[in-house]
Amino acid sequence: MIETVELTKNFKEVTAVEDLTMTIKDGEVFGFIGPNGAGKTTTVRMLCCLISPSRGSAFVNGMDIAHPNDRIKIRGIIGLLPETPGLYESLSAQRNLDFFAQLYGLSSTVRDRRIKELLTTLDVWDRRNDPVAKFSKGMKQKIAIARALVHEPEILFLDEPTSGLDPQASLTVRNYLLDLKKEGRTIFLNTHNLDEAEKLCDKIGVIQRNLLALGSPEELSSKFWGKATVIEARSLTPEMVRAVESIPSVRRVDLAEGKLLVELDRPDLNNPLIVRTLVERGAEIEYVSELKHGLEDIYLKLIGGPR
Amino acid sequence: MRLDKVWIVARKDMSEFKTNKYIVFSLVLMPLVMSFVLPIAYLVPITMLTGDNSNVPLDLHINITSRFEGLNVENVSVSNASFVKSNLTNVVAQSCIFENCTLTDVLARDSVLLNTTIDRSYVIRSNIEASPRTDSTLSGCVIIGETSRTVNMLKTFIDSLLMFFILVPVMIPTIIASYSFVGEKLNKSLEPLLATPTTDMELLAGKSLSIFIPSMAAAWISLVPFVVLVDLIAGPVLGYYPLPNIIWVVGSFILAPLFCLLSISTNVLVSSRVNDVRASQQIGSLIVLPLVVFFVITIAGLITLDLFYMSVFVMLIAIVDAAVVYLSLKVFRREEILIRWK
Repeated sequence: MIETVELTKNFKEVTAVEDLTMTIKDGEVFGFIGPNGAGKTTTVRMLCCLISPSRGSAFVNGMDIAHPNDRIKIRGIIGLLPETPGLYESLSAQRNLDFFAQLYGLSSTVRDRRIKELLTTLDVWDRRNDPVAKFSKGMKQKIAIARALVHEPEILFLDEPTSGLDPQASLTVRNYLLDLKKEGRTIFLNTHNLDEAEKLCDKIGVIQRNLLALGSPEELSSKFWGKATVIEARSLTPEMVRAVESIPSVRRVDLAEGKLLVELDRPDLNNPLIVRTLVERGAEIEYVSELKHGLEDIYLKLIGGPR
Repeated sequence: MRLDKVWIVARKDMSEFKTNKYIVFSLVLMPLVMSFVLPIAYLVPITMLTGDNSNVPLDLHINITSRFEGLNVENVSVSNASFVKSNLTNVVAQSCIFENCTLTDVLARDSVLLNTTIDRSYVIRSNIEASPRTDSTLSGCVIIGETSRTVNMLKTFIDSLLMFFILVPVMIPTIIASYSFVGEKLNKSLEPLLATPTTDMELLAGKSLSIFIPSMAAAWISLVPFVVLVDLIAGPVLGYYPLPNIIWVVGSFILAPLFCLLSISTNVLVSSRVNDVRASQQIGSLIVLPLVVFFVITIAGLITLDLFYMSVFVMLIAIVDAAVVYLSLKVFRREEILIRWK
């Protein structure tokens, strides 16, 4: 579990992260989204005990990131994939992983087993002895992910794991992250890719120096837009709109292009009443569906930008 | 500090160095120049100058037929004569023995001069002992009981070669460290390394050890052929094998490692501020300056390179080392590296 309380980081005059308070439970995949310079990488660096907070506190699996003895223990249970792979280009993929596995204190047998497992899963086992310099960007990213996982960390921090990858490589990485999610690993994912975050994450945090929003994608959608039902029907009239508006739980109704957008509370209870009201007045219902706002809408609403 | 982690980091870095042709080239070339080229190019010409200065007396086979004492001799030619307490002026002498005499404007050949003052004279193929000389020329003579200036120069030059030897563990770290620290910074491979459960001290010690080992190995390996060559070249002239001596032992096994450590620590400081391997090498190589200054002072004769001055120099460098290592430890901290290393 990761818990931060008013976590703040200042770089001289500049405040990179301010009053960040949040909790990420064990086994959750947490997506941290925000524009460039919003404080995502700084937060990860603080939680990985690479830099110290200026104010506030944070605990990783109950250990204090500010406590010198805990800091080294925290680094032992986390895996970090930084924004750039940062591999030793002249060394082979296997040697790169073996070096890190040694630093994590893995025995020779365990190291060999883990490296084989990871490289096989990521489909680079055949190239294990090649210098990393010869690898494509996607392959390097796979090796960097393997490096972050070589010691089976309890918590995985991923900073833009699919940034700069071609669609195929992105898909491979994303699928692998889905497998890790199924394993129940806690993952902290910094990303600009909202589609990726939506597919992978149980919980989303939107940051722009301060934490602007926190919750599951559904919770955030409800929080910012409320529930809404879209009804597509033939023969809709203004009289029908007024009839629906008169229903107590309905907050707002819009009619456009043959679609009725109804914002309401408890659609599960009230949708049948709305449909009956329309049918009684002669409407021919074609579709009834829930209006969903994607993460992109949430992000743009919070950060600002074109709708 | 866990030594096993230090060694893991050092081994990884050394594996990387093996694949870097510039580092391999430096590790091979500098010791080669040091071991073979330097003693041959530097000492052979000097030993040729000192070739006539053996201390073994010439076998002159002088057959004395007449003896003189307390005479003033002028404008004559003499041969096979022995002079004691005499003054000889404008004389040509062949196969004579002069003892407690004064020779002025004399041409002497195949003679023995003992405790004799030689002025404006020319002495050829003779044995000379305890005889002061002014405005005179000696050719093919053996000066007994007196070390010639060229022999003294040879000794000084052999000691001054120590500077070149110490350059090996000073310059090689400059090259390796620039690739190790700046290279890792450019490659952005420091962040994942810093995220491992290692301490700043373990990382710095491991990286420093990976530079120290090949640098000192190159220096010490080159020392063996160097010593053999110097002894082979200079031994016959000096009449003894000059190396190893105490100055070289202190220089090689105390001063050289101290300079190596100084070079590594300086390069850590430099690497924290530059983003270019060559800039790092150029700035880092300024570390040779105190070494050069010390040896220039020695060669200039301002101090004699003896154990006392070596010890003073060693202590000074040790103090500077401690200061620079302390500063490099302050610079090599996770937060510093991630935020302030440009």
